[in-house]
Amino acid sequence: MPDLIFKVSLQELCAQEGITETMIIEVVEHGIAEPLAGDHCQDWVFESDSVHWMKKAIRLYHDLEIDWVSISMVIDLLQQKDTLLKENARLRSQLERFVNSHYE
Amino acid sequence: MEFKDYYALLGVEPDADTKTIKTAYRKLARKYHPDVNPEKGAEDKFKEVAEAYNVLKNTERRAEYDEMYRHGGRSHQGFEPPPGWQGGASSAGHQSSADFSDFFNSIFGQRGGGFRGYSDFDQRAERGQDIEVELPVFLEDIISDASKTIEYTMPVHENGQAKRVNKKLNVKIPKGVCDGERVRLKGQGAPGQASAPSGDLYLHIRIVPHPMFDIEGHDLMMTLPIAPWEAALGAKVTLPTLSGKINLSVPPNSQSGQKLRLKGKGLPTKTENGDLYVIFKIVIPATTTDASKALWQSLSEATAFDPRAQWEKQNA
Repeated sequence: MPDLIFKVSLQELCAQEGITETMIIEVVEHGIAEPLAGDHCQDWVFESDSVHWMKKAIRLYHDLEIDWVSISMVIDLLQQKDTLLKENARLRSQLERFVNSHYE
Repeated sequence: MEFKDYYALLGVEPDADTKTIKTAYRKLARKYHPDVNPEKGAEDKFKEVAEAYNVLKNTERRAEYDEMYRHGGRSHQGFEPPPGWQGGASSAGHQSSADFSDFFNSIFGQRGGGFRGYSDFDQRAERGQDIEVELPVFLEDIISDASKTIEYTMPVHENGQAKRVNKKLNVKIPKGVCDGERVRLKGQGAPGQASAPSGDLYLHIRIVPHPMFDIEGHDLMMTLPIAPWEAALGAKVTLPTLSGKINLSVPPNSQSGQKLRLKGKGLPTKTENGDLYVIFKIVIPATTTDASKALWQSLSEATAFDPRAQWEKQNA
């Protein structure tokens, strides 16, 4: 069974197409992701959870040709949207347990 | 195959300058980009637009394309590149991406420079692409040491052809995992170019809604239906939980919506357990017999209770 890992290093990220060290530095500088450890950027390690958002940010940078400040805002809003949708679904589910009839 | 009118796709005239093309692309990219537009068909539309821009923004590729455009490529029912078509653009040495249309590949094939134009400046042997797969997980799986089998398709390149192969993997659900968490499986993604390592597989954990429990982080929420006499007098109730049945004492004079917290009976975190909240919901029988009707009547007469007292206070 393959190992589950919760971390990715900057080196591993940059080994992929379209991702450079410069971009990762921008992503971190604009608050889109935060390294778990590493004083120098070459030693940076990230949570696997944040890779999704980092890659999304880099895609937006390439595809929409917008600046990092705007990208940071977009990612922020997308994350908020995710949270709200989840909360909405949960509240709806809870409400339906009360509003629907107990006896069908 | 169909001739693709890149100018029409971007909504510009064939003699548009680079600035106009750029503006047109940005507007459409913003509209259809799959990262910001979740609608069905948006991603396909975006790929079309991006491909058009890929060609038209590059002087050499645009020149080649214009040649075909001018020579009536659009009017044919089918389109085939002229035999022996070589074109003059330099090779970027990058494999055709499955993201390009057949039309694009037939003309620019190996010289497309990567779908996002990455390889226009990036010539290293690339690590394989990461793949993300949704993994629906039941609540019961999270608390047991369950493993699940996942099936997904992976893009591979064989003899210069892009195709997708099916893969199957057995994975153990990590303890304390949350809904929406993304977990990495190293090396299980798409193979890299030449000797480069494979990409990773990311599992996007989605917890399947449970008919009885709602989830808030690592806490569970459950609605407990009780009879009016159970609420008034108190009662001993047996509750099903994910880890078996437990006994619960409903306190006397409980209200609908009242919450009881059962510590540690929620979902496991990496260190301990969340809690289970039980919420009372008072329900009455759908029908009443003559005998019970009489009892309800006596009870209403014997009890001095106005459930709408608050309303009268407000209207006073």
